[in-house]
Amino acid sequence: MKTKVLMLFLAVASLGLTSCNSNDDETGIVIDGIDLSQDVDCCSAEEALQVYKFIQTVKIIPELSTTVDDKYEVWAYSKTGTLHKGYNDLYFVVTKKKTGNYVKYFDITNITPLMNMVKMNMWHSTPVGGSFEVFDTTRPAVKRGWVSLLMNTSDAGSWQFSYDIEVLGSKGSVTNKAINVDALPEGQDWLKSFKVGDDTYYLSLVNPSDWKTGTNTIQAYVSKKNSPATTPYGLATEQFTIEIDPRMPDMGNHTSPDNTPLTKQKDGSYTGSINLTMTGLWRIHLTVKDAKRNVVAGGDDLKDGLSSLFWDVTL
Amino acid sequence: MIALALTILLATDTIATSSHTIDEVVVVAAAGEGRKRSAKGKVASIDEHLAELSHVNLVRRGSYAWEPVVNNMQTERVTTTIDGMKIFYACTDKMDPVTSYVESSNLQSILLNSGLNGNPQSTGNIGGSLDLKLRKAGFNADPFHVNADVGYETNGHLQVYGADASFSTQRFYTNGGVFYRHADNYKEGGGRKVEFSQFQKVNAFANAGVRLSPLPTSPKGEESHSVGSSPLGGIRGGLDILEGTFIFDRATDVGYPALNMDVAKAEAFITSLAYKHQWLGGFFNSWETKAYYNHITHVMDDTKRPDVEIHMDMPGKSWTSGLYSLLSASNGRHDVQANYDLYYNRLFADMTMYPGGAAPMYMVTWPDVGTLNTGLALSDCVRLTEGQSLKVSAKLAWQTQRLNNEEGYRAQEVFFPGMRRSYQQVTGRVALNYQLSTLHSQLNVGAGWGSRAPTVTEAYGYYLNNTFDQYDYIGNPRLKNESAIELNGAAKFSMLNDQLSIGLDANAFFLSNYIIGQFENRLSPMTVDAEGVKVYGNLDHATIVNSSFTAEWKPLHWLAWNTRLSYAIGRDDKGDPLPLISPFAYTSNFTFVYKRLQGKVELRGNGKQVNYGKKYGETATPAWVIGNISGEYTLSIHKYALTFRVGVENIADKRYTTYSDWCDIPQKGRNVYVNLSVLL
Repeated sequence: MKTKVLMLFLAVASLGLTSCNSNDDETGIVIDGIDLSQDVDCCSAEEALQVYKFIQTVKIIPELSTTVDDKYEVWAYSKTGTLHKGYNDLYFVVTKKKTGNYVKYFDITNITPLMNMVKMNMWHSTPVGGSFEVFDTTRPAVKRGWVSLLMNTSDAGSWQFSYDIEVLGSKGSVTNKAINVDALPEGQDWLKSFKVGDDTYYLSLVNPSDWKTGTNTIQAYVSKKNSPATTPYGLATEQFTIEIDPRMPDMGNHTSPDNTPLTKQKDGSYTGSINLTMTGLWRIHLTVKDAKRNVVAGGDDLKDGLSSLFWDVTL
Repeated sequence: MIALALTILLATDTIATSSHTIDEVVVVAAAGEGRKRSAKGKVASIDEHLAELSHVNLVRRGSYAWEPVVNNMQTERVTTTIDGMKIFYACTDKMDPVTSYVESSNLQSILLNSGLNGNPQSTGNIGGSLDLKLRKAGFNADPFHVNADVGYETNGHLQVYGADASFSTQRFYTNGGVFYRHADNYKEGGGRKVEFSQFQKVNAFANAGVRLSPLPTSPKGEESHSVGSSPLGGIRGGLDILEGTFIFDRATDVGYPALNMDVAKAEAFITSLAYKHQWLGGFFNSWETKAYYNHITHVMDDTKRPDVEIHMDMPGKSWTSGLYSLLSASNGRHDVQANYDLYYNRLFADMTMYPGGAAPMYMVTWPDVGTLNTGLALSDCVRLTEGQSLKVSAKLAWQTQRLNNEEGYRAQEVFFPGMRRSYQQVTGRVALNYQLSTLHSQLNVGAGWGSRAPTVTEAYGYYLNNTFDQYDYIGNPRLKNESAIELNGAAKFSMLNDQLSIGLDANAFFLSNYIIGQFENRLSPMTVDAEGVKVYGNLDHATIVNSSFTAEWKPLHWLAWNTRLSYAIGRDDKGDPLPLISPFAYTSNFTFVYKRLQGKVELRGNGKQVNYGKKYGETATPAWVIGNISGEYTLSIHKYALTFRVGVENIADKRYTTYSDWCDIPQKGRNVYVNLSVLL
């Protein structure tokens, strides 16, 4: 039995198999610093291993991590452990202080980034994803959400974050925690806005840094500015279509064929496909149309015949 | 002495080479009767040797590395082998036809099989196949030889230095040498300098052979006689021979005035090991099995060009490994050859562009395509009656290609959604040639069918800019194989006591699924100044017809007049002219021999290009004619021979460009050359 258990552990650990056997065998899984003994609130050994593996791929954001009731540790993560202008995925994991195991049931609510524009002494928020949801079924203890930050920290202003958390009946929060927001490197511009009447909308491009030469899925969110502006901006309820025209300004506005427009999906995101024929700077010119196919933004075809509304992505 | 042996060796080949579809230029050795040879001798470049072959034209992108065109078909439809070895160029812009990786000193001769009657190792030859025969000292040749060549040309200050040596015994031979060429920018007719036409090339080679089987005893006289009939020596019983060859070739700082870039380095390493068994009696003659390996590294360079909008790095790599096994047999009536060959080739090229300040742009232009190809070829030359013979040759080949580079595959998938990662093709050819010889005439007729798989550029090339028509080309993995039916005929008559002979030669290729770049207006070019994008596609059919007339008149034993006229037609499926088809061309020369002095006065020219491929971006080239003069004097002292050659090309310093000068770059203006070959 013991050999069998050990072998299973090796198989799971080395090959990263996601299949799960009977509970008897899970006692073979060992993760440093985590007590995997039975706890209904927490992950099974198999689930814990998947969570553990996931958090090796992201980094802790210390500013947004906290403790609740001295019983639970709340860990916030992003890909780099920092935040940057534009769309950022945020992940939360809660561990029991006593065992170190990952708690399956908790809620992150009211995430509120606020920026203080020092010169004008004004405050505004930014587009955020609705709520934090379970990342996926194999990792039930990871909650995912996003924020899309309008500006980076600079002389013009700085950011602070707040959110509430409830873990197994215990409540906690992070309030007005100052955090730095990095600028994106040259050739990257993933957040744009447009106005329809008095309403301001924001176009947040999701994680283009994962793109590669070839055909890529392009995903974005359209958020609408709130009044007052200090309330986080939720998803726009309208149904838009976002047409894309990817160009390489350094290559005489070379373009690629067969790109498909971004259309609204059930989850509220906009998804299409983009073809990139090589690496380098791609300027994705945008034409936003409403449900009646009227152009509401971009598509203004300036001198060069291209829209003035665009994202920049450098592969 | 070696020269004599070699001439005889060539003479013994005439059973195979007597057909009008086969042509040969001799690089080394004194020209035998009727043998073709460059007036510059061994000092001539490979390109100049190639120019001597009928059916061959050369596309020039600079003064180095010309692309051979056979029967008005370019590299895609022509195969080139080095002693039967497959080798593939490494530059996506065709700056390095494989003939550029050898040097005159490496070669014995260049053999051209016109049309579908290819040499046994060639696969996919529709227009023809070239085999570069390596020069091996051979057993029982002169024990020790040293040869040196020096040459100078005024136009471009071309300097040539070469030296080689050979050592030969009954059991062992080796020969090797080094060759160096250097040229500055040349001047076109009228004296204007053609910028970026310089080059420099170093070449080294070594060959060795050893007899494995013990030497049988035979009378001395018979031995030396049999040397003549075979380079391996005609010894009774069997012979086992092991032969190795090696070539290193490196060209640096090569300018390409017709292109936007030059070449920093083009380097090849070519090697082979062969085992040969030779029978002396019975049905079988010889069985040779050769394993080979070669690789090419090609690095383009635009850093020396002014006004480069975007600096680019474009390296390319090609490596090939393979083997062939050739069995020959004869029984007096049949000459039979069977050849099995197998090779694996990998081609990778990429491009990085550096726009000032912004992020570099990268793409894979040849997605590391691995080609595994294997084929079986059979041929039989049958002597039907005295003066009548029939040659039948056939080959069947299979290949599989795989795109090994993920990024390149993903990029091409944008244009061909759902394209596969690997493709298989079957190709074949069969050719029949009948020859009737009488005392004063010779008649040949032939027919054949053959197919070829698309080249890597045609199937998987990615945004390859073609400066000829200013389009970016994208390969098409869904191309069908191209095939052709060939008909050919030739007749030669001699009259007036053989003082006058005239010949007519014609062939016609009826191509199906002809592969050529086709406009794709939907796509946007990558190259900043490009006109647009073309994607390779199959035309339903195309036709290429070549014809020539030759006359030779020898009024006196020391004087001969040769003239040759040729005309070709190429039409696509709409009846429009294909690009790069030679206009009416002619040469006419007088040669004279007085003791050890030989001389030649020549006129060469092309008519105005009337049927040019306008649709394919070609522009018309005006008519031109130039005059050349050359002389040669050989001095023999004891065993030593000294050959002195001098000549003037383009005597009138005419400014001209031929239809096959890429982007109409002008040809060399007046050029005076002198060279000296010493044989010790």
